[in-house]
Amino acid sequence: MISIMVNDLPVELAQKATLQEMLTQLGRADDGTALAVNQMIIPRLEWPHHRLTDGDDILLFQAIAGG
Amino acid sequence: MLKIADTTFTSRLFTGTGKFATPDVMLAAITASGSQLVTLAMRRIDLRGGNDAILPALIRAGVKLLPNTSGAKTAEEAVFAARLAREALGTHWIKLEIHPDMRYLLPDPVETLKAAELLVREGFIVLPYCGADPVLCRRLEEAGCAAVMPLGAPIGSNQGLITRDFLRIIIEQAGIPVVVDAGIGAPSHALEALELGADAVLVNTAIAVARDPVAMACAFRLALDAGELAREAGIAPSRRDASATSPLTGFLTQTEGAL
Repeated sequence: MISIMVNDLPVELAQKATLQEMLTQLGRADDGTALAVNQMIIPRLEWPHHRLTDGDDILLFQAIAGG
Repeated sequence: MLKIADTTFTSRLFTGTGKFATPDVMLAAITASGSQLVTLAMRRIDLRGGNDAILPALIRAGVKLLPNTSGAKTAEEAVFAARLAREALGTHWIKLEIHPDMRYLLPDPVETLKAAELLVREGFIVLPYCGADPVLCRRLEEAGCAAVMPLGAPIGSNQGLITRDFLRIIIEQAGIPVVVDAGIGAPSHALEALELGADAVLVNTAIAVARDPVAMACAFRLALDAGELAREAGIAPSRRDASATSPLTGFLTQTEGAL
């Protein structure tokens, strides 16, 4: 297992988990999300391949209502 | 017809999605308004909270999405928000807004211009929310923005076009579309903006907080239709002196030819 932070909350993931697998585990694999790993925005196309490592800091964003 | 960058709009009413009581009411109001461009915001997800995704409903409605950079207080934060929005929504259109002042939510002109220059270089279609400053609007146009969005009054204040004299100058000078954003509190304000020569308006609060948002959205659509017709018809010039609309003969004593 690895331990990462997602929006300041600790999350446990399987070794070599990808960003896509993390989103599925969190129930947030919707359209309208975007994320940054250690302050770097990762393009959506790379989510299925980008493997997370212990201690990664993820910021997860979503489109919401606004003017 | 209104064209911004590569997109043509048949409606001159753009709408925000904030402050509606429910997503269903928001969707019904947007549909009633005829709006083809709607704004969204980006926020960090609260993993302990529910999922308040509104995107699927908007995609079903077939409207074009305009994410904003609301919450950004600097150019750097706005550029980060724009890049996130591009990933989240698959669009390179961005409503650039940077307002560090929480009381009046007035946009920071220096940071806005700086962010606009960076985003245009990255290939974004940039629509900046800005003060009604003709010099700034010209600089934003020179920076490559696709439109400018000067404010009529502070966001959500519903005061109407208190900046009208400066909006006139902006409209007169602009070579890109002018979208009056913020402060439009009633359909008459939106109509006035179009009569001044604005290309479009962006309305959120006035529709969202109305007692009947769907009916108010219809009212705005009708006002914008009237504005469009007035633009096409050509508004008569105003003057200080009277100009008679009836023959100025002495009613009982003169014939017209005797004057």
